[in-house]
Amino acid sequence: MLSDTIAALATAPGRAAIALIRVSGRDAFGVAARVLRPFDGGQPRRARRSQAVAGEAHDPLDDVLYAVFPAPASYTGEDMVEITTHGGLLVPGEVLGALLAAGARPAAPGEFTRRALANGKLDLLQAEAIADLVDATAPAQRRAALQQLDRGLSARLGGLRDEVLALEALLSYDLDFPEEDSGPVAPARVDAALVTVRAAVGDLLATAADGERLREGALCVIAGRPNTGKSSLFNALLGRERAIVTDRPGTTRDAIEAPATCDGFPFRLVDTAGLRDSDDLVERLGIEVSWRYLAAADVVLLCVEAGRPLVGEERLFLDALQSPALLVRTKGDLEASAPADPAELRVSALRGDGLPALRERLAGLAFATLATHADLAPVITRERHRVALARALAELEAFAAARASGLEPVVATTYLRAAVTALEDVIGVVTGEDVLDRVFASFCVGK
Amino acid sequence: MPHDVIVIGAGHAGTEAATAAARLGARVLLLTANLETIGQMSCNPAIGGIAKGTVAREVDALGGIMGRAADRATIQFRMLNRSKGPAVWAPRAQCDRALYRSAARAELERHAGIEFLQATAAALLLDGERVVGVRTTVGAEIPARAVVLTAGTFLRGRIHLGTGTQVPAGRAGDPPAVELAEQLEAVGLAVDRFKTGTPPRIDGRSVDLARLERQDGETSGFRFSHYVRAERPEQRPCWITWAGEPVKEIIRAHLHESALYGGAIAGRGPRYCPSVEDKIVKFPDAERHQVFLEPEGLATSELYVNGLSTSLPADVQLAFLHAVPGLERAHMTRPGYAIEYDYYPPQQLTPWLEVKAIEHLFFAGQINGTTGYEEAAGQGVIAGINAVRRMRGVEPVVLGRDAGYIGVLVDDLVTRGVDEPYRLFTSRAEYRLLLRQDNALSRLGPLATELGLLTDPERQERERRAAAEDQLIALAGSTSVTPDQANPLLAVAEETAIAERQRVIDLVRRPRVGLRPLFAACAVVVPTVCEESWLAAEIELKYAGYLARERESAQRLAELTEFALPADLPYAQLQSLSTEARQKLERVRPASLAQAGRIPGVSPSDLQNLVLEVVRRRRSAA
Repeated sequence: MLSDTIAALATAPGRAAIALIRVSGRDAFGVAARVLRPFDGGQPRRARRSQAVAGEAHDPLDDVLYAVFPAPASYTGEDMVEITTHGGLLVPGEVLGALLAAGARPAAPGEFTRRALANGKLDLLQAEAIADLVDATAPAQRRAALQQLDRGLSARLGGLRDEVLALEALLSYDLDFPEEDSGPVAPARVDAALVTVRAAVGDLLATAADGERLREGALCVIAGRPNTGKSSLFNALLGRERAIVTDRPGTTRDAIEAPATCDGFPFRLVDTAGLRDSDDLVERLGIEVSWRYLAAADVVLLCVEAGRPLVGEERLFLDALQSPALLVRTKGDLEASAPADPAELRVSALRGDGLPALRERLAGLAFATLATHADLAPVITRERHRVALARALAELEAFAAARASGLEPVVATTYLRAAVTALEDVIGVVTGEDVLDRVFASFCVGK
Repeated sequence: MPHDVIVIGAGHAGTEAATAAARLGARVLLLTANLETIGQMSCNPAIGGIAKGTVAREVDALGGIMGRAADRATIQFRMLNRSKGPAVWAPRAQCDRALYRSAARAELERHAGIEFLQATAAALLLDGERVVGVRTTVGAEIPARAVVLTAGTFLRGRIHLGTGTQVPAGRAGDPPAVELAEQLEAVGLAVDRFKTGTPPRIDGRSVDLARLERQDGETSGFRFSHYVRAERPEQRPCWITWAGEPVKEIIRAHLHESALYGGAIAGRGPRYCPSVEDKIVKFPDAERHQVFLEPEGLATSELYVNGLSTSLPADVQLAFLHAVPGLERAHMTRPGYAIEYDYYPPQQLTPWLEVKAIEHLFFAGQINGTTGYEEAAGQGVIAGINAVRRMRGVEPVVLGRDAGYIGVLVDDLVTRGVDEPYRLFTSRAEYRLLLRQDNALSRLGPLATELGLLTDPERQERERRAAAEDQLIALAGSTSVTPDQANPLLAVAEETAIAERQRVIDLVRRPRVGLRPLFAACAVVVPTVCEESWLAAEIELKYAGYLARERESAQRLAELTEFALPADLPYAQLQSLSTEARQKLERVRPASLAQAGRIPGVSPSDLQNLVLEVVRRRRSAA
């Protein structure tokens, strides 16, 4: 039963040395083979090295270890692949994304355990323990604000589902009641409803970036030349001495990541090795890591000592950045003259000067749309939501195309039903009567 | 020798139950209070329509009589939804009531295994929790190994005509069944009341037909039956008029005299078959309502006034009829009326329509809260088949939601129950592209064969047709057309021309491009197949991607269906379920996880916990 292929991150997202992704189902080996190069389904339960790649071009994502567990000797009792990637926020998400693109679907909460149960792989005591654990990761455990958002999200998704159903009802009315008083539904009415619901799904989908940032924390990378006070700023924003601070350039060799809250919004602060040409192998590797973080950053803080003009490479750096950046003038306590530009962000990690202003700017930059609303509008906060909404939107687009091409309504409505299913996957409701209820509510039917 | 199966009631459910049982070789007694009304069409004189037409074809594919009788009684035929693509075509036949009755009776009499008895059932004979026969109102006790009850609207039926007139009746002119209803309530079955209505009928000679819009049928070779090709009788038109402001005014003025609005009726009625009172109260802005005058038969000029179902007093009915254009001088031959009757909330049934509390007792048709001849017939087939199978101790048969509208219907009934008289619509089916009228035989023929419902010639016909369709589909895959051959066709279809040779199977997916013209264009030799096989093959090819998608989704549902839930799960004690889920599951006792998932009020997390519970039980049992 239930053997379509699912994939999910098994370890908690966030800073960690490694992360574990599980894939289970009929085509688990096939899905893994499309992402892992090389992949060998033989020799069960042996860790092997491979590379995870994405897309047609096989862009490398990460060096990974994987092991295969053929059915029935696996956690779920199905064919399974466990992939160990490097940890953090980026790599596991990218590898998971590649697995989903290769044909897996995101696992519902507790679905691995559910399958394990269905296949008799667990006894009740084990299962209950796991089920509790799974339940505990549900919305209830999230911060109160997020929970509030979730309720808003359910209502919003429910509303979208209703809109798609109403659209289907317009077409179904014509199919089920061809001889009624009010005659066929005007095509313009269908078109208008379609435009509205497409826009609404698109709008919600567009919140994915904000939402996932809100859940995981926005990735804020502190960069700059060596010894510009990055680690001091990092500790100051964090409120504790996490990074080692010395006056020696190049003290920070590896990226350090820690959660922080700025103006009520969650951030994952990353202190990086200073960017410079270095002959030191370790330092060079650290700098490479810095660049990878920078490429994925939601916001970058470029540290430059107060009162010092920007050097050429710092200007180039700012120009090359894809992410929004803030120029932070550090070591404000060492610079007596007032800033020439009143908008300059001058901070002193030592005295705490300028930190509130920086926090405010950070929140505004990373959570632009959210921070401007007094009431937080519903946003989607998980990959699962995003995948399902993207599917719903794709189905609506396909419906529009089918309609434009003159495909019969009964065939075209299969796209609407798929869109509804996609939305239901997020909400978790399934009922068959709703379309008819809508038909009855809006038309006088029955000859 | 005792009877295997007694069928109580000879309406559309009863006749099909008797036929199915007899086809499986059972000795059947068909018990009816009036042998003259076997196969009576008590309401509108038509078979088929949206979804219902497909059901009639499914019943036929399973060896039933509805399609055959309708073909022989068709006096006007229309394929509804013709402009909306063949996937939703819906055959509907206006039928001569008398011809339908006699055809139904003749079909029944072809089965040597069916005996007829005119008698009224007074009580079921019970042995503990099993039914063992029937006692009639004259005291005769007839033993049987299974009983199918198809009492329609007869159980404590009560006819309303205005607020003043209430007549106990199962149908105008026939007495209700009261004793049996009382016994069923006494043994503990939950019972509820529904109402439904019927419009007045008028004398066609008193109608000014010249002023009405005439609606002729279409001359098509369509027949409901797959196995028998009956000649159609002479054809008759329908007539269309409408009820406008004068009618609305009269009804509004007399609303308090309506049985429905005057408070005489408590039962709920269907939303999709509203009385004219309902239409006017609930949709006050609608300027006018269509009225179809449908012929009652060839031998009479009586017309059925479809669209004006009512429970107003007879004099008010006559007054509003006279306000309808063309009916100013109409003679009303029979007034419309509302009828209230007992039905048994169908969650009390198994998915094979056996009463959970009483073994070997089956319910089918309107007593399960449905409406419509076709819905009744579909249930009749299922009840008839399973009465025999249970009696023989073999596994009962359940049709999937992807196998037929009958499967959707029965599953909806036993899983979700009904809160108004239940009628089928295409919207009720998840897989409506799969459930078409043209492929009923290929969907259900193999099952009918396997169960033993078909005769040798019927089986051969089915195989012949399946082979022909497969052959057409294979030919489309192996034949290709050149641009010279295809482009003229594509130009007509307003499709872009092709530059290279293409396979028929690919080209036929384009809108407005037909399979037969493509074959003709490349002068390939095609087998001789019937019109309907062409249609079925073309639809399969044209919508292959969409059909595959529905089949895939049906497959996922089937996987959930395979997760069986034990019949003895103590739902009330399962603390991991929500209170609502516990109550609903206790009531329905679903057979599978899929069925549990369709019960309103059972959430995905309830389902998950249900799986936990079942697996734990399996393990502790092992």
